[in-house]
Parts: sequence; C-alpha cells; structure tokens
Amino acid sequence: MIRVGVDVGGTFTDIVLERSGKSGKQSIFVHKVASTPADQSIGVVKGVVEICKMAAVPPSDVDMVFHGTTVATNMVIERKGAEVGMITTRGFRDILHMARHKRPHNFSLQYDVPWQSKPLVKRRNRIVVDERLMPPTGEVETPLNEQQVRDAAELFKKRGLDSVIICFLFSFLNDDHEKRAKAIVCDVLPNAFVCCSSEVVNVIREYERFSTAAMNAYIGPKTSLYLRNLEDRLKQNGINAAVRIMQSNGGISTIENSSVRPVGLLLSGPAGGVIGGRWTGAACKTRNVITIDIGGTSADISVIQNGELRIKNPRDTEVASLPVLVPMIDIDAIGAGGGSIAYLDPGGAFRVGPRSAGADPGPACYGKGGIEPAVTDAQVVLGRLDPEHFLGGDLKIDPSLAHKSVETHIAKALGLSVKDAALGILKVVNNNMALAINANSVAKGIDPRNFTLMGFGGAGPLHATALAEMIHAKDVISPLHPGITAAMGLLLTELQYEFTRSVLIVANNAGDKDYRDANSILAELKAQASKQLSADGIASNKQKFTAIAECRYVGQGFELRAAMPDGPLSEKNIGSVIKSFYAAHKQVYGHAFEDQLVEIITLRVVGSADVDTLKLPNLKKGNRSNPAAAKLYVRDTVFDDGKSVKTPRYDRAKLLAGDKITGPALIVQHNSTTLVPPKYKALVMAHGDIVLNRGK
Amino acid sequence: MAKASKKSTRKAKKIDPISLQVIGGALHSIAEQMGNVLYRMSYSSIIRESQDLGAGLFDAQYNTLCESDSTPMHIGSLPGYLRGIEQTIALKDWKPGDCILHNHPYFGASHSPDIAVVMPVFFKGELVGFSANTAHHVDIGAATPGLIIDVPDMFAEGMLMNALKLYDKGKRNESVWNYIRNNTRVPSLVMGDLEAQIASAELGVRKFQELLATYGKDTVMQATVQLMDYTESMLRREIDKIPDGDYVATGFLDDDGRNRDKTLPIKVTVKVRGDGVEVDLTGSSPQVPTAFNVPFEGSTKVACYFAFRSLLLDTYTHSEHIPQNEGSFRPVKVTAPKGSIFNPIPPVAAEARFCQIQRVVDLIIKALAPVVPDRCTAGNAATLSFAAYSGVRPSGDYWVFLEVNEAAMGGRPLSDGPDTIEELMRNTRNNPLEDLGMHIPLICDRYECRSDVFPGAGKFRGGQGVIKSQRFLTPGFVTHESDRHKDAPWGIFGGKEGAVGKLETYNSATPDKVTQNYAKFSGLRVEPGDVVSYISPSGGGYGDPLDREPSKVLDDVLDDFIDVAHARDVYGVVLKATDDGYDWGLDLPATQARRAEMRR
Repeated sequence: MIRVGVDVGGTFTDIVLERSGKSGKQSIFVHKVASTPADQSIGVVKGVVEICKMAAVPPSDVDMVFHGTTVATNMVIERKGAEVGMITTRGFRDILHMARHKRPHNFSLQYDVPWQSKPLVKRRNRIVVDERLMPPTGEVETPLNEQQVRDAAELFKKRGLDSVIICFLFSFLNDDHEKRAKAIVCDVLPNAFVCCSSEVVNVIREYERFSTAAMNAYIGPKTSLYLRNLEDRLKQNGINAAVRIMQSNGGISTIENSSVRPVGLLLSGPAGGVIGGRWTGAACKTRNVITIDIGGTSADISVIQNGELRIKNPRDTEVASLPVLVPMIDIDAIGAGGGSIAYLDPGGAFRVGPRSAGADPGPACYGKGGIEPAVTDAQVVLGRLDPEHFLGGDLKIDPSLAHKSVETHIAKALGLSVKDAALGILKVVNNNMALAINANSVAKGIDPRNFTLMGFGGAGPLHATALAEMIHAKDVISPLHPGITAAMGLLLTELQYEFTRSVLIVANNAGDKDYRDANSILAELKAQASKQLSADGIASNKQKFTAIAECRYVGQGFELRAAMPDGPLSEKNIGSVIKSFYAAHKQVYGHAFEDQLVEIITLRVVGSADVDTLKLPNLKKGNRSNPAAAKLYVRDTVFDDGKSVKTPRYDRAKLLAGDKITGPALIVQHNSTTLVPPKYKALVMAHGDIVLNRGK
Repeated sequence: MAKASKKSTRKAKKIDPISLQVIGGALHSIAEQMGNVLYRMSYSSIIRESQDLGAGLFDAQYNTLCESDSTPMHIGSLPGYLRGIEQTIALKDWKPGDCILHNHPYFGASHSPDIAVVMPVFFKGELVGFSANTAHHVDIGAATPGLIIDVPDMFAEGMLMNALKLYDKGKRNESVWNYIRNNTRVPSLVMGDLEAQIASAELGVRKFQELLATYGKDTVMQATVQLMDYTESMLRREIDKIPDGDYVATGFLDDDGRNRDKTLPIKVTVKVRGDGVEVDLTGSSPQVPTAFNVPFEGSTKVACYFAFRSLLLDTYTHSEHIPQNEGSFRPVKVTAPKGSIFNPIPPVAAEARFCQIQRVVDLIIKALAPVVPDRCTAGNAATLSFAAYSGVRPSGDYWVFLEVNEAAMGGRPLSDGPDTIEELMRNTRNNPLEDLGMHIPLICDRYECRSDVFPGAGKFRGGQGVIKSQRFLTPGFVTHESDRHKDAPWGIFGGKEGAVGKLETYNSATPDKVTQNYAKFSGLRVEPGDVVSYISPSGGGYGDPLDREPSKVLDDVLDDFIDVAHARDVYGVVLKATDDGYDWGLDLPATQARRAEMRR
C-alpha cells in the first residue's frame, strides 16, 4: 500500500509518502515544493511526481492520494469566487442582505457588515419569482411561475453568470419548486454550477440555509474545475490513485462529492494540521495541545483538549463571518506567517501582515523581486535561518537582500539598527499570534499554563518558544517534520461520511407512521453512507454505521444529540432515545425536565471504516548531551534579548532518542529550523519529536 | 490558616499581567457560557432566536465583573436591578441557594418584561457577589398581550416582582411558581424560559466559585478591580481628547400613544469636562400618562453609557480589547429631572421605553459630531419596531409572538450606513420566518429592503430601511411600539436626510385599500388575511452626494437602491444604456460635466 498526503499552503506545498510493505515494514518520505497559487494542482502534481522519484516508486503504484486544499477558503477570503445568480421567493429578495439583522459589533458605530459590503450574491443578481409554500406541511399556496424562472435564467445567461442558486422559503418541507426551477435553469445554462438550498443542506432556518447554498455556489465552479484539473493532471503523469479530499470536520470525501458540495472543504487545508498535532501530542504523551501552524501567509490555531479535536456546534459554524451549516473543527486563522510583510502604515504605525509576500515574489531574501521585508527576512538578518540550510539548500536565499530590505524600509525610517528593526518585526508578529492564541484558548476558558504549544509549519519551530513564553504555555513541541505535519495528518484520517435529514417527530407521542417514516429515512441515509464507503473500496462487513437523533424539548430552538438504538426505531426502544436526550440535556445545561415532550428534529447517520494509520519507526536510543556527532558548525545568532551569541547548529537527522541539547542552539533539517534559545533544554522523543522546556 | 493570612497581606498588591489576562478571559467566558445556556435552553423565540437577554457576574458592591456579549440594552442594566433589590433584601440577609425574581421599573429594572433571576455567590461561607441574568418575557399578564402602550399606570404592566424570593435556601416556593404560571397568557413559554434563566444563574454561581477556588479569592477580586480600572482609564483617555464644552442637540418624538400628534421634545446636553462627561436631559418632555416613559436607573443611564462606549471605544476601529465591565460606566454621569419622560415618578407606567433611549443615543452622537467628525454617524433610524402578535388557539390557549424589526444606520465617515440592521441600543437577531411559520398562525408575505423611498444621499449614503409584512391566518391582536413617523433622520456635513417610517395595514384580499397607522397602538383586533406592514426609517447621508464615488452610484442603480434620475439629479452621475444584461453603465465625461455644473 502506498499512500501520499499533499497539503497546499499559501507558500509551500508539502508532500508525504508512506509505503507499507507486505512484511508490515513502513517507510516515510517527505518533500516540499513551492505552491502555485494560480493553479494549485500544478504544484501538487509536481510534488507527487518528485516524491515518487525520491522513494523510487513508479507513480502508477500509488494507491491513494489524500489532499488538503485551501483553494475554496482563499476564494472566500479574497472574494474571488463566482458571480452568482439567485432565484428566490417573491417578497424575499434580501434574505442574504439582512442576514439575522444582528450587527457584528455591539459597541461600534463604524463596523463593517461583511454580508452587505462583500456579498456572495449581489442584489442585482437576486431575482424574485412567484411561488409560495405554506407551513407546516409544505402545501403549495402559489404555484411556481416557470416563465419567470426561465426569464431569470436567460438574464443570467446574458450577464455571463456561471453559477446559480435556487432558494425558496419552506423548501425544507417540500423541494418540488426548487427542483423544478433547477431543471429550467439547467436547461438554459447547461454548463453552469446550479444548486438548490434544500440539496446543499436540508434544514429549517432560511438565512442559514440560503447562505450555505450561496457559499457552495460561490466557490463551486472554480473548486470543481480545480479538482477536475487535479485529477486529470495526476492521470497525465501516470498517477491513477484514488484521490480523497480532506473535509472541514476531519473526515474525507471523493472528488465527485467535493465538486458538488465544495462547501464541506472550507477548512480542508488546516484540518490535517490539527489531526497531525493531536497525533504528535499523543506520541509525546500529552493530551492537551495548542497547535499553531505557521505557514508563509497565515497561522492556524486550534486547541486539543483531553486528546479530542474541538468540533464547532453546527449552529455556530461560520466562514468569513458567513454561516455555513457544515460540521467543522474549531480553528482560528490569522494573517501572520513567514511571508508577512513589515511596513509602516500611513499613520506611522509599525505593522506586520496580514499582507504577505507569498511564494511569489516571496520575501526579499529569495531574490525573486520582493522588495519589502518579510518575517523570514528578519529571521535571516538575525542569523536564525542559514542560507545553506534553507529548504536544505534547494532554495537559494541571499542574506544581503534581507539585510538591505530591513534597513531600507524599517531601520532607516524608525532610526533603528538593522538588528533592532528585525527584532521589532518578530516582536510585533509574535504578539499578533499570541493574542490570537489567547482568543482561541484563554477567552474560551482554557488556561494555557496546562497546555503544550506545538508550533509547526515551516516557520513554527522558529516562533514556538517566544510564543510559549508570551502565553505561558507549559512547554513546547517541535514535531519530527514540522513543515509537513499537516500533510502527515492527512494520512491519519479515518473514512467518515455523514448524512442528515429533518424529520420533526414528537418522540413521546410517536405513532406507527412516525416509526415507518423514521426507519425509511434511516435506511436511506445508511444506504447513502454505504454507497460512499463501498466506492472507497470498503467491504460491506467492514462498514460501521452510527445513527444519531438530534432532539430538543418541544418549543426549544436548539437540538442536542441523542443516541439511537441498534435496529429499527419502535415503540419498544424509543424510550432509550428520550432517556439519552435527558442525559445530554442534564450534562449540557445542568437540568433535565422528565415531564416534558421531546421532539426529534434531525436524523443523522455516520458511516465510517477503520483504515490503516500512519506508523513512525522508533529512533535508536542515544541519550547523549549536546551530541558532537550531530553538531554541524557554530555561527553568531541574535536572540530575543538582543544579544548575539555563538550558537551551534545540530543536524536533526543525526539526533537519536533521548538526546538532550542545551540552548543556545539551532536544530536544522530540510524543511525547518528549531530555535533553542539560551537556557532552554531540548529533549528528543522516541520518534524524533523534540520537547523544549525553559530551564529552571 | 497561615496560608490565608499570607494571602490577605497581598490583597492590594497588583497582580501580574498574565494572571490578569487569564482571569479576565475566564470571566468573559463564564458570562458567554451563561448567555449560551440561557438562549439555547429557552422556549420563546424572543430569547432563543432573538437573544434578547443579558447575563453576568457581579461583586458584592454590585459592580459588573463581566457580561455576555448579547444585546447592549441588557448589558449594563443588571447593577440597577441589584441595587433595587437591596431596598428589600439587605446584603446580610442573603443565604446560599436563594434565588430572586425582580422586574420592578421603579426599583432598578430595565422595564417590567425583562425579568431578572439573581442568585448569590458564596465562597467559604462569605457572600462574594451575584450571578444574574435578565431576559425579555413574552407575556407577564399585562393589559394587552405581550406589549402595552396606552395604559393608565404601572399596575397595568402585569406581574410586578419586587425582590420576589422564588427559592429560599435552595427550596422552591411552589405558591410563587404557580402564581406566575397562572398569571401569564403563555405559561408554556414563560415557565420554560424561567427554568433556562435559573439554569444559567446556577452555572454562573458554580463557575464563579470554581474560579475563586482555582486562583484564590484575593487574586480574583484584585484582578476584577484592575480590569475595571483599565476599562475606565481607556474611556477617560478618549473623553479627555474632546474639547471641554456643552454640546446640545434636540429632536422630537411622534406622540405618547394616546394624545395623537402631540409631539414630545428631547433635549440632550453633553457636558464635557476634562476626562469626565455628563449627559443632561433637562428640557426633554415631562413624563407622559401612557407606558411611553423610561425607567431611569435601568434604561436611561444604560443608554448614555452605551453612547460613549460605542462612540469613543468603537470595537471595530480599536485594536485593543477592552473588557466589558463597570469601568466603562464610571466616567459618565446622567441627569434627568424627576417627573420627566426619562425619570418618571410612579405610578405612571414605564414599559415602552426603547424608542426614546434610541433617540438619546442618536442625539448624543449629533451633539458631538462637530468635534468628533471621524467617529460619528449621520442620523440613524434610532428607533424600534416592537410588535406583539397574538391570538387564541382553538384549544383556548393563547399564542403570543414578539417581533423586533430592524431599521438602518446613517452614513459614516468612511462607509455607507448599513441597511436593514439593528442599530444602537438593540442588537437582537431576527426570528427565522420558517421557524415562525412552523409554530404560529402568522405568515410573512414580505421581508426585504423598502423600495418606496431612496436612502439619504451623501458621499456615504444612509442605510436603506426594511419592510416586513406579517399576515394573520386566524383572528388575533396586534400591539405595536414604535416612533419616528415625523422627525426624519438627519443628513450631516452636506448629506441629505433619510426617510421616516410607516405602519400600514390592509387585507390580503384588498391590497390596494391601505390604512396608514400611527407608529404605536394597543390591542388592534385583526381578522384572517389582515396584514401588518412595518416600514422602517432610512438613514441620513454623510457628506456631499457630489463627492460620492461614481462607481458606487452606479452600483446603487444596478442594485435598485436608487434610480437613474436620482443618480443624475442628486449625485450628478450620468449613466448610459448598455447591452450587457445590466442595462446601465457610467458616462464619466458627462458625469464630470454635470457635477461641475451642479457645484457652480
């Protein structure tokens, strides 16, 4: 079995290849190439082909490619998605414009309203048609005016739109009108990306459902094009492996599904890193980890508590301030990374990021035309990144360019030495990151003093100790391959698919019809999940299914998850669902009312299968102190106190388990450098992960 | 014991910035969790969907330590409740496990439907503070279902609870519980919502105790002192930048809901002195005989605190996070003469108070605009539409639905006023129309930007208001609390004024026979097919319309906010026909010529 994980960041694309022989022997290869933002698939395929060469594996032997992509997310953040047309119920043109009519800030007059200033669907492209469905049954009060739908589609055609959503009120009760309108639109615009709100997420609450559909359509055309290009390009290079795409909830999906429902990919990029972080934490015997994945453009922060990923409540899931009703890991992103540009704003304030030099032109030291200093340039100026070891020397960097750019743009303007200007750049960017970590931990009641900070991504281990001091984390982990932790995480995911449907059954009063309805929905959801798992080559006896009833007391607005019995739902076992709901209510709110009626709102089926997980070999025991065998050379390095110290460099590849290194030191490897400041101690763990502690 | 004495010697010592940040974050998180439990567990849509609630922790001097980030009206009102309760229950008389209900408008409540649930927090046998929340209840048995306007006095507001003990040392008083159940029109909602409030307060008690156990009482309480001082100093620093002086603005309200067309003046004098400020409402209308008065402690003061926080510590433009606590109230003094609409004397009712305080905030902004042009706004809608829809089901049970309708903001120094949004003191969420349709015999026929007027023109235009039309499927009643059918939101620095609101009724069978109504009325009877259509004011413009980016004017035409003639006549932007499916494009040379001519 040969599995490849590919994680695309804003600056670099990371690749890991795992080969497990029949004897059970596993070997791991890692690689990194520059990202190709114009078409990410170019970098992805280049990386896969190159890593196959490194592993001496014919591309055709690769069985599976797991891919985490930021294509969809970047499109939303940069607002470079499709020009979307919307057909909706007359009288309700502005549901997406009004949102929930709550403003994003309580104490502000100048606040921005992102859904109005940067709408996914412009008002001019929201067209109303006659049709009306009535609650609570979904009966038709006004039939769909099909001519108006056709006219709207013709207008979209004239305007050159290639993406259309159909969003009718109460379509979660009856999707006939949406489906009919979709057929008409597809007839007029056969090549457009068209979806109905009830297809994308079939739940009550119009704004959230419409917004999720709008997001799907906004990222739809370009994401599906990207995924198709990727598949084609892989095939052209002889790679016929099954391709699986990372989803926001830590599960994976097929290209076909992801193309139709790209809305599930919005956290595809960062999810792998968090899963990799959890796994590395476990290897280092810690279940409480704050992960910060520092790439070239941005940093992603997440918290693993007691060994568990934090999944957001689906009622709270947002991307770029817009609701997206799909399950996703709780991850915060900020615009700070190695490529973040340092500059003086018009008011004279010293800022670093969110503007980024990206991979192209990249920081000034790349010599590819970047003029302004980036965070990486500051690291080079301070002697923390050695030219000969930057990406193992694959990428040439020129320290004099870094020096010149920091001098010209920051030092001179502020009357500082170049060294102090570089230290200032790091101080500002570290502070931005520390505040963001606090917002995702302290502000949510988590005391970082009991947590380990794991900094990864190429630049993570350069910042981790400074950040840990700022947030007062317990200690720091530099994982074995910091630059490809997210790519490795891709190889750790289990196959998992979720399907849901609204039902609305009062459990305490359920009758025969309710049981029939529920059981037929459950069977359908299970069949959908099974079909998907079978498509992934999972034998039916290896497929596992879990059914969940999302319930609330009659009259409440929020659901909690109750366990469903094995086998069909019946008068005999519905009591167990009600009991499970009481227990959940008691656990979440501290109260349960056993005399009140419980309503089942949604049925959810999760289909999953255990797959082989990544295994890393143990390193030989070394148990040495500052091992001379791993020492490369000594060079001056400036640390945060501003002092320049003669600092030894160690080759990470030559370190063994139990080895200890005392700061000041730099531990270098192909894709990353770990900074060990004075007074810090670094301990090499069994697989080669490094735990750093402040000396007492 | 030795440990305790050692701690007390450190009492006044400043705690380190890390602990301060951790404790501040933990407090903020407790308040958020309290708010979450409350709205997620509750039954009425006004709480679970609109989140018309507030929750927080308080010290034994009634200082706010933290509050949930829910709606500004609730944030800051709870200390008034606590001080009101003290007039009945002295600090020394609290016992662990007590739980108090309170809503009396003359004893600190914000208004009577906002019932507070208050529980004391004891730590090691000592009263250290309170866990409390407020939530807007659908019906407390007032003269008309849900809301009241034209009533004789406060006794018509419904159940008045003045420090009413629901739990005595952990034991619920079943007589009180049954009394409430029997005196609301919708016990199935109100009792469930009270349960949610109690669960939220209990959570606050437990979490506060855990925090005290983790960090020690002295450290936590010292941290709260420092956090309040920090917030206070941040606000004072900003007030200090405004030149000393008296800044005055005036406006007027439509009427009191009974004496039609008799307008009510509002006068706001902002007295800036160094790093402190006083808002003097002298010169505003005397109290009125209806429910259209404002409780002083729980509403008038809170509005003034809000105005300075959002004007001077705008969370969008400030990068520093400033904790939400008592510190932001301290630099602001509020004066309103006894017997005025902002400080009424019992027994007049004081339930319908929101429109008035919205105008206070807006007039504070107007008064200060000349000295803070880069932080102010043009005239906001600064009103509220609060509708109580109700009826009786065939079973004989009442249904009552409270709806808050949004309006719009005025134009701003760097951006247009947001359209269709909750402005100023309010920030609830709307009720999903689908959720509504599944629960009550009311169906929404129209909910979008209003299309009968153009928003206030300016370099940055005012926000467009909303239209929302609700149709009754069965007979029922409507009470509507609103204002601003007469005094349009102003334009500023060359901007044009916005538009006043409207309230129309008609039957869906005869949509052309429209009745124009006053902004507030009580207990209107309606029949099946009757539609109540609220049309909110639109915001005023900021700056000269001739300075507006032509491409933005084109956008507004394409998006149907304005038409081609308005673009030409008011903005001086000339458009030409296109054949790209959008119909219009910019004619820049003609625009330049027209603007030059208009500037002449």
